[in-house]
Amino acid sequence: MPVPDQDSLVSVLQHKIGTVGNILPGQLGKATIQIESALNRKVIQILLENDDGACIIALTGLDLGEKIGLMYHIRTKGLVVTVKTEVSKEDPKIATITDIIPGANFHEREAADLLGVVFEGHPNLSRLVLPEDWPKDLYPLRKDAKLEGVSSKLADSQCNTQPEVKMQQSQTDSRLVNIIVGPQHPALLEPEKFSLKVDGETVMDVEPRIGYVHRGVEKAAEQRTYLQDVYLIERICGICNSCHALTFVGAVEKILKTEVPDRARYIRTIILELNRLHSHLLVLGHAGLEIGYETLFQYMWRDREPIMDLTELLTGNRVISSSMTIGGVRRDLKEEDVPKIKTQLAILRKKMDFYQNLYRNERSLKMRTQNVGILSKDDAIKLCVVGPVARASGVLTDVRKDEPYAAYGEIPFKIITRTEGDTFARLIVRLDEIDESINIIEYTLDNMPSGPYRVRVPRIVVAGEAVNRVEAPRGELFHYVKSNGTAYPERVKVRTPTFANIPAFLKTAIGGSIADVPANFVSLDPCFSCTDR
Amino acid sequence: MKSLTMWARLKSPWVLHFNSGACNGCDIEVVALLTPRYDVERFGIKLEPSPRHADVLLTTGVVTRQCAERLKRIYDQMPEPKFVVAIGACACSGGVFKGNYTVLGGVDKVVPVNAYIPGCPPKPEAIIDGVVKLLSSLESSKPEAKTSASA
Repeated sequence: MPVPDQDSLVSVLQHKIGTVGNILPGQLGKATIQIESALNRKVIQILLENDDGACIIALTGLDLGEKIGLMYHIRTKGLVVTVKTEVSKEDPKIATITDIIPGANFHEREAADLLGVVFEGHPNLSRLVLPEDWPKDLYPLRKDAKLEGVSSKLADSQCNTQPEVKMQQSQTDSRLVNIIVGPQHPALLEPEKFSLKVDGETVMDVEPRIGYVHRGVEKAAEQRTYLQDVYLIERICGICNSCHALTFVGAVEKILKTEVPDRARYIRTIILELNRLHSHLLVLGHAGLEIGYETLFQYMWRDREPIMDLTELLTGNRVISSSMTIGGVRRDLKEEDVPKIKTQLAILRKKMDFYQNLYRNERSLKMRTQNVGILSKDDAIKLCVVGPVARASGVLTDVRKDEPYAAYGEIPFKIITRTEGDTFARLIVRLDEIDESINIIEYTLDNMPSGPYRVRVPRIVVAGEAVNRVEAPRGELFHYVKSNGTAYPERVKVRTPTFANIPAFLKTAIGGSIADVPANFVSLDPCFSCTDR
Repeated sequence: MKSLTMWARLKSPWVLHFNSGACNGCDIEVVALLTPRYDVERFGIKLEPSPRHADVLLTTGVVTRQCAERLKRIYDQMPEPKFVVAIGACACSGGVFKGNYTVLGGVDKVVPVNAYIPGCPPKPEAIIDGVVKLLSSLESSKPEAKTSASA
C-alpha cells in the first residue's frame, strides 16, 4: 500500500472538515482534530467516508481534572488520525458512534467501565472488564478514585457467596439452550466466559464476559517510572511481550525525540520476528489440538522450542525477553550467535515445507476449517478487525508497511493476504507469515549495521503525548502515552489486537455449528491477558 | 489399600491447570511441559481438565478479583488429598502487578499452597522440579498427611 504523504491527507481533511474542527497536523498520528463533543458523530463520519478501509483503532479516555478527555483514534489510509474532544466530569455524556462503526462497541463499553463516560444510544453499556460487584461509582482510571483496599474487601465477600451461574432456559424461546463455557474450561487456556445460546446444533447468540485477567495495568503504569513501566507493560502478555515493550518504548521515544541507533533497530526487528514465529507456531499447533488433531499440536510445539532457545540466546530469557529499553535494546547481538540463529532458521524452513503440505492437503484438517466462520471483507472493515484475521478476509493492512517502525522500512517482505475469510484462510495466512518472518530475520542478520545498540535517555520525560503502533503477531497493537514532565507517565492506554478481534468471533460464530466454535475461535488467536490488561 | 492409592498418586499424579489472571507466559510453559521436549507424561503426570479428577492444582497468575471465587470453587471441587502449586512470580506473590486495584496478589491469599515455583516465567525444567519435589515430600511423609513443602 503506498503511504500517502502527510500533507495530502491533512489537506483533504481540512477541505472536508472545514471550520468544524481545529486540525493540528503531525500530532498523535498524522493529525489531531480538536472538536466540540456534540460534533463527534459528524466528524467521525467524515473520516470514515474518506477511505473505504477506515476504522476505529482505539478510544482513549483520560482524566483532565475538571473534564474527561476522549480521543478517537481512527485509521484512515493506513495512518492514524485522532479526534479529540472533552466532556464534563459531572455529567460525562457523549453520543455513541457504535451505530456508525460497529467496531467501536467494546471501546465505548471499556471507557464507560473505567472512566464512567456515558455513551448515549449505545446498545449495551454493561460491565466489560471490571467485576460485576465492583462499586458503582468507582471509576479506576479517574485520578481521584480511591482504590485502596477495595479489592480485598470485595474478594472476602465474594468467596463466601454461592456461584451465580446457573443453566438458564431462555424465556422467549424454550428451544434455546444456554451453554456456558468457562471461566475454567478444558478448551480455554485462559479464564474467560462465553454464554452460547444454541438451538440444537446451531449457535444463535454469543455473549462474552471478559475481564477475568484484568489486572489494572493502565492504572499501575501511572504509578511507576517509565523504565519500570517497560517491565510492567511487557508482562501484559507473555506471548507478544516484546511487541508490547516496543510499542510503549517507541511512544516514549517519540515524546523524547530520541534517535535510536541503527543496530538497535535491527536487533529489535529480530526479536519481534522471533516473537511472531513462536506465536504463530503456538497458534497453529493449538489449532490442531482444537480440531482434534493432537499429533499436529505436538509436532508444532516441538518445532517451536528451538525458537524459544533462540530468544533465550539473544535476550537471556525464553519467554519474557525484557530486551527492549528506552533508547535501544539491552543486549547486543554477539557475532558468534549469528551462525547458530541461521542454522536453526534453516532447519525450521525445511520443516515448514512439511507443515505447508500438511495444512494445505490434509483432508481432515480442511474439512474442519474450510468454510467455517466466514468473515467477509466488508464485515472485517466494519468490525475493525486487525492482523492476520483482517488479512485473511482480504483487507490489506499491516503496520510494518503502513507506518514502518524498527527496521521494517528497509527490509523487503510481502504482506500475506487471502480472500476466503474462513478459519482455513486465517491459519494459512499465519503459516505463510512464518516463511516471511524467517526471510526477514535472515535479511536482518545479513545487513546488520555496526555501532552502538542503545543511547542513554533522561529519566524525566518532557511533557507531551504520542501514539505508537506495532504489528504484533495477532495484529495491530496500539499504545498512547501522555507525559506530564515528570518521571511518571500521566496516562498509558493500550489497545491490543484481540480486543479488536473479539467482535469478529461473535459475528462468525452465530449461525454456525457449535462443533465449529473451538476451531473458529482459535483461528483468531485470542489472547485475553492482552485484552483485559 | 491406602498404600496402593498413595503409590498411584505418586506414580501418576493428575494435574489441573488454572489460570487465575496470568499473562500467558507461565501458561504456555505449563502446556509446553506436555510437548515432546519436556514430555511430563513420562513421569505419569497427566493434565486433567476436570477438577473432580485432579490431584494437583497448578495455578498461574496474580489471582484477580474476578477469578478468586472461581479458584476457590475449583479447589473445593477437588477430592482430598489435594495439593496446590503456585507457578510463577505472580502466583507466588503478585509479581509486578502487586498492589493493583483488581489484584489479590498470590494464590495463597485464597487457597493453601503446597509448593511455590518462582520465576517470570519459571523454565519448564523448574516446574517439573517443583512438582517432583512436592511428590518426593509426600513419599517421605506418612500417607494421607498433608505436607507444606516449599520447592
